[in-house]
Amino acid sequence: MNNEIVDLHLNDPQVRKTWEDFLTSLGITDFQSQETAAIDFTLGIYEGDRLVATGSAAGNILKYIGVCNKGVDQGSRFNTIVSALISRLFQQQIFHLFVFTKLKYSDSFQHVGFHELAHSDVAALLETGDSSIDDYLDAIPRVADQTNKRVAGIVMNANPFTQGHRYLVERAASENDVVYVFVVNTDASLFNTAERFELVKQGTADLKNVIVVNGGDYMVSYATFPAYFLPTPDQQVDYQTTLDARIFRDRIAPALNIKTRYLGTEPLSRTTGIYNQVLQRELPPQVAVKIVDRKTTTDGTIVTATAVRKAIADDQLDSLAALLPPSTINFINQHLESLQFRIKKGMNINGN
Amino acid sequence: MEIKQTALAGTLESSDIQIMLSKGTDGITIDLESDVEKQFGDQIRKVITDTLAEFDIDNVKVKAVDKGALDCVIKARTIAVAQRALQTQNQPAWEAF
Repeated sequence: MNNEIVDLHLNDPQVRKTWEDFLTSLGITDFQSQETAAIDFTLGIYEGDRLVATGSAAGNILKYIGVCNKGVDQGSRFNTIVSALISRLFQQQIFHLFVFTKLKYSDSFQHVGFHELAHSDVAALLETGDSSIDDYLDAIPRVADQTNKRVAGIVMNANPFTQGHRYLVERAASENDVVYVFVVNTDASLFNTAERFELVKQGTADLKNVIVVNGGDYMVSYATFPAYFLPTPDQQVDYQTTLDARIFRDRIAPALNIKTRYLGTEPLSRTTGIYNQVLQRELPPQVAVKIVDRKTTTDGTIVTATAVRKAIADDQLDSLAALLPPSTINFINQHLESLQFRIKKGMNINGN
Repeated sequence: MEIKQTALAGTLESSDIQIMLSKGTDGITIDLESDVEKQFGDQIRKVITDTLAEFDIDNVKVKAVDKGALDCVIKARTIAVAQRALQTQNQPAWEAF
């Protein structure tokens, strides 16, 4: 089986060790379980019994790509393995792919048709496939004469939409002509994407200059910022959020004339805390950052979605009235059982 | 004519070309990545466009990654991807060859 593509079954301890040793020899050393558990399949190329190339996919993201070029044309094995990964994902009807890689490999991926979305000093994020960030931006609604308007943006997961989110949006809406609210698209939260999106829409329906749009793959998604959804060391959070911030600064904000991004302070989540710091470092001067203090209830409690999720888990709905707009309260009352069932089934409610 | 589904043909191996078709709204648009773009870019685009025309496809997004394919390879890959995109791969279009 010389130079043929084979499936690597990482559950097999021996295969796993060969794979880890090979990647380690190439400088890829992060085999934490939350990274490797997300892998859907892994391909490899052997020469004799020596592994010489490998690549994996997790959802629509390529991961753990490593190639040894000894004795062959530079790049040929890389092309073979990437080509095999792409065809396999296409068979699964996954047509839009991302790769998060070290900066020095960005060129290699661009050579096989990927386009770079953003890069930092250490890492780059690229995409390929049947849709691109330009298609995403083209599909976002705009207002007349937008280039001469004051436009602001807010990115939120809104899990679920609280009075705190509402306060932030109101504030932005009163200070700008147009406010884009981007709702995180990745479906990894207690309230699913459709529910979160709908609750943001209902909760802001009376604010006429607010446009609610799906954040797609480009804002706080599994591709740009996996640490938002997975426990991750601080350093990596910084790497990932730097790319997320630069995509916003260099691609999204200019296309929509967004001049200000509003952030809520985040006293409870360490990851979001780092994200906010990175945004303040990366976005200005192109995009101003406005930090709005957390809304507190009349008795001084900080309004957070984390507290709301806990109240749902504990069946303490009385406490919610002060924290939520009526549309969100109605939704929770109507869907309480199914939400509690999701928590029982193991949905994590302490993250984001 | 518009295509029915996103489709892919070809690989990234040397001397091959990987072509993807997806729904377009703006005529035939070709995003070509090739090391010989300067020398042969126009020719590659022409072969793809001409072959798509034989299938009456006039509204499609083409993404092509060329690794030094000859015209006959480009044509063959375009025919394959067009038939997959139109879901007619079970009725080979012999007249297009």
